[in-house]
Amino acid sequence: MRILIDAAACTGHGRCYSLAPELFEDDEQGHGRVVGDGSVPPELQAAAQRAETACPERAVSLLPAG
Amino acid sequence: MAHDTGGAAASFYDAAPMAFDRTEGWAYFRGPGDVYERDGLWYLTSPQAVRFAHQHPEIFSSAKAFDSLGSPVPLIPIAIDPPAHVRYRRLLDPMLAPRVIGGIEDELRRQVREIIGEFAGRGSCDVMADLAKLYPAQVIMTLFGLPLEDRDTFIAWTKVLVGSSGGGVGEATPEQMEAGLALFSYLQEYIDEKRATPADDMLSRVLSMEGEDAWTNEEILGLCFLFILAGLDTVTAAIGFVLRALGEDPGLRARIAADPQLTGPLVEEVLRLELPAPMTPRVTTQAVEVCGTTIPSGAYAFLCLATVNRQDRDHPDSIDLGAGDRGHMSFGGGIHRCLGSHLARRELRIVVEEWLSFIPDFTLAEGVRPAVHWPSGTLHYESLPVIFPATVAASPVGGAA
Ligand code: HEM
Ligand code: SF4
Repeated sequence: MRILIDAAACTGHGRCYSLAPELFEDDEQGHGRVVGDGSVPPELQAAAQRAETACPERAVSLLPAG
Repeated sequence: MAHDTGGAAASFYDAAPMAFDRTEGWAYFRGPGDVYERDGLWYLTSPQAVRFAHQHPEIFSSAKAFDSLGSPVPLIPIAIDPPAHVRYRRLLDPMLAPRVIGGIEDELRRQVREIIGEFAGRGSCDVMADLAKLYPAQVIMTLFGLPLEDRDTFIAWTKVLVGSSGGGVGEATPEQMEAGLALFSYLQEYIDEKRATPADDMLSRVLSMEGEDAWTNEEILGLCFLFILAGLDTVTAAIGFVLRALGEDPGLRARIAADPQLTGPLVEEVLRLELPAPMTPRVTTQAVEVCGTTIPSGAYAFLCLATVNRQDRDHPDSIDLGAGDRGHMSFGGGIHRCLGSHLARRELRIVVEEWLSFIPDFTLAEGVRPAVHWPSGTLHYESLPVIFPATVAASPVGGAA
């Protein structure tokens, strides 16, 4: 699984990096940013899903790995 | 963040059964459908409808909607439409980003402990008067770099200015003009001082921006005014709501005590159910179809964040700590997403943590049935008397971090 943030949709609610700090971080603006290349290890898949549901702007998406 | 309800015509709005029970109140607004009109006001109540409005700020204008606040200075950035809006947010977002709030957390915590320590040994207090109305004002003063000794004067001015029900609606009264002038000249003094000798605070940082990014004096005053309007009553309200929830429910207190990690989800769930600013106003710039209904051009519309929060849930109307990370719209969405959300969340978490460390057990005073004032653009309790074991020492029980 891979995660992606749609930068145009993100307005900086910060739910993604609060809920899944292993996968997301905040930039200077407080907007979300994917950590590393965005691939999600199996043990963090639930966290990735939580972030996807929590984002009020629907800016976080989960994609199949690859 | 108050809004004009359209005066005498707004009887549907005024008649909502909101004062004692928001579950009933928001069901009332949800009842007629996703998008509907009553007494000349439009209501958008479903997630799809509100999301559409958030994503189309060029159609759902804030500039026209916030006219009614009658502010003498432009309300930056809440009353600014695209394309100008993005410039302000680009400059402001970094100032209230989580990492900045993290930097002042220790100071904010120290202040809460001081405030709670004042009454913890007393056995009773009014949550609103003794904590909820004081703390958010101190936080804004801390952000601006203003001396906390001026707190009570500062609060007195802002109270008159914003109005007791949270609404500076329509024409300002002479009293409001006077308080506004006093506050502005007070702020102006510090603006001049910080312009000359910048300190490590938000005002100084805005003032030090140069060239294309430089703000006019009027813009800076507008920003200060908006922080006062948006950042005081809202947090005051939320402190009252979260402490009521805890005071009424020993089981909830026990769960938080057993697992302090649940403080975050608790704050989120209370925000989801009890919105300090439950509906945000917009004015349409053109006719637009939303969820199958056509809203005319120039319509005054409410985005009902509160009804959106109670849809598509297993337990829509009660605190569900397990769903505390499902997200909600209490801070709005789209380009006007609350600039202060990171600060507000931190304030609330610190308040809950410190309150429970000083006062782990408490209940509402006998016979108290807290009510919010309605109709009003912002919802909050005027007072919330609570009692707790008088034996509690004036120092924290567990010694929180
Ligand atoms: C629990 C507390 C709070 C709640 C529920 C809340 C709620 C909201 C909501 C719903 C909006 C969107 C308004 C709209 O779409 O028209 C908003 C905007 C805003 N809030 Fe908050 N707020 C809170 C605390 C704060 C604090 C502490 C500050 C400042 C220090 C603040 C500053 C702002 C500003 C500047 C905007 C305008 C943003 C823009 O237009 O781009 N808020 N808030
Ligand atoms: S939760 Fe969504 S809007 Fe918020 S920072 Fe993350 S991606 Fe951006």
